[in-house]
Amino acid sequence: MIELSNVVKEYTVIKKKSGLSGSIKSLFKPEKTIVRGVDGISFRIEKGEMVGYLGPNGAGKSTTIKMLTGILHPTSGTVRIGGISPQENRKSVVKQLGVVFGQRTQLYWDLRLGESFELLKRIYRIDEETYQSNLEMMYEVLGIDQLINTPVRQLSLGQRMKGDLAAAMLHSPSILFLDEPTIGLDVEAKQNIRSFIREMNAKRGTTIILTTHDLDDVEQLCKRLIVINHGKVVEDGPLSELILRMAPYRLLVLDLSEMPDPQTLHHHGAELIKQEGLKLTYRFHKSDISASELISGLSAKLSVVDLGVKEPDIEDMIREMYRSSSTA
Amino acid sequence: MVTAIRYHVSVAYFFAKLAVQRQLEYPLFLVSWFLMIPLQYISGVWVLKLMVEQFQALAGWTFPQLAFLYGLGLLSHGLSVIFFIQTWHIDNMVIRGDFDRMLLRPMNVFFQFVVNYVNFIGIIDLIPGFLIFFYGCAQVGFEWTLVNVLKLAAVVIGGMFIRASICTIMGSAAFWTKRSGSLISLTLATMERTTMYPLSVYPKVIQLALTFILPIGFISFYPATDFIGQEDGFTLPVGLAIWTPIVGIVTFAVSHFIFQSGLKRYESAGS
Ligand SMILES: Nc1ncnc2c1ncn2[C@@H]1O[C@H](COP(=O)(O)OP(=O)(O)OP(=O)(O)O)[C@@H](O)[C@H]1O
Ligand SMILES: [Mg+2]
Repeated sequence: MIELSNVVKEYTVIKKKSGLSGSIKSLFKPEKTIVRGVDGISFRIEKGEMVGYLGPNGAGKSTTIKMLTGILHPTSGTVRIGGISPQENRKSVVKQLGVVFGQRTQLYWDLRLGESFELLKRIYRIDEETYQSNLEMMYEVLGIDQLINTPVRQLSLGQRMKGDLAAAMLHSPSILFLDEPTIGLDVEAKQNIRSFIREMNAKRGTTIILTTHDLDDVEQLCKRLIVINHGKVVEDGPLSELILRMAPYRLLVLDLSEMPDPQTLHHHGAELIKQEGLKLTYRFHKSDISASELISGLSAKLSVVDLGVKEPDIEDMIREMYRSSSTA
Repeated sequence: MVTAIRYHVSVAYFFAKLAVQRQLEYPLFLVSWFLMIPLQYISGVWVLKLMVEQFQALAGWTFPQLAFLYGLGLLSHGLSVIFFIQTWHIDNMVIRGDFDRMLLRPMNVFFQFVVNYVNFIGIIDLIPGFLIFFYGCAQVGFEWTLVNVLKLAAVVIGGMFIRASICTIMGSAAFWTKRSGSLISLTLATMERTTMYPLSVYPKVIQLALTFILPIGFISFYPATDFIGQEDGFTLPVGLAIWTPIVGIVTFAVSHFIFQSGLKRYESAGS
């Protein structure tokens, strides 16, 4: 469906020199440097998938999305959407795409939200019936009916983002690219946007590619993750599998009623990583021992009053992935 | 074909409608409009008066002929301010990554760029042009026959396209140089100077350049020589005025081509 193979994107950056002599010099002999935004990326995404595209700042996420949506031409490699190149056949590809860049609105700053929609209706040649039913749906899911007559520049960030999402869905695209759609939003607005994304994926079967730095987005939305760093793919797989592989540890926290005998603290299936007075923290491998086995083993020796098992979290996993790929 | 035309016209019309509506909404708009009209009028008259006093015959052109020439150039200038002012800012748009939005839409980017804005307020820029031109017409005894009026319309519209194309070409350089600069202001200043006086006051090299490289001569000079029967310095085929719309179409096609080639090198903006 969506296919990238060995895609490289190099940017030409002109170094600005300081001072008058510097700027005269660079006028006649500009000093150009090449920046590799994306350095040989390949992946494939099937119809109806919901994929998180992650990576640290400057990893090349936005660059990839701009190539997938026909904004940028790759320096080398091929990009295909439904078998067609968005660069050679831009118009027919972008017809089926919805794109939202959280950092920059695609709406017209000085138009009312509704006017922007009307304009899109004409540009995409959306027939009246589809337009109305899509608009209806956006009103319902995003609750933007009150905003339709507000100029875009007067919208708050969260309202504008909802407007952008609605605008991206008006022509019923089969693929939706979301580049940081929850950036800078409050908890409530984030939830709205997440349920919108889930709904589009579930009800319409829209393929969704999402970049974000918000781990709750990842946890709640993405079944599959593609992680990049320095312009290269470092991980690609189902979320649960990646967690298991990158952050396989679980933690068991015990509260005791009396000071334990140091001899009794040891357990063969787990490692005691912290002891603070009556609070003990064990780390264990999901595949080595089950939580219940460990608990019954330890509570036989210790006077346990309370306990808690902490699952490995996405934060640990992401940190681990970014760290290991940076040193590699 | 018909549906394609209807589609483009409907989008262009809607953009124009929104642009006009937007400008009318600004409360200050009408005030400044009413203030600007007399100002523009006065400036037009003042320029004329200056011309009468200072411009005497130049390169064999009498003063009324000069007024006709200058006025003709101002008319296409005014039209390009209304319909093509966005071509003055291509370089900044390239640097800021403003073409992203247009690239995401299933419509020709150059078309979107051109119809995207109509500078309705720019209509007042036409006032001095009309004043000076009608003064010139009256003085040189311009005949308002149907043929002449049609020719005049073709020349003014052709001139607008030449101006817009030259700005588009200069602005598109930013796709390669990755910087916005003074190239467009330089071009605008050059166009202003060179449409004001007869081309024949310049050295032959410049005349050639302004005919074949940057065809500024076709904006006002060649058609004016045709309308008022002046010497043009070259012996181009007869009916010089007819050349303006042709050159307009050709340069516009060239500018479209250059813009499209530039767009392939477009790098958007970092954030
Ligand atoms: N228009 C541009 N011109 C020059 N360099 C660019 C441009 N856009 C991006 N880059 C560079 O390419 C690299 C990748 O940038 P990109 O915007 O794709 O990262 P990202 O993964 O989206 O980061 P973030 O999480 O910060 O949004 C960075 O080093 C950046 O400086
Ligand atoms: Mg980004």
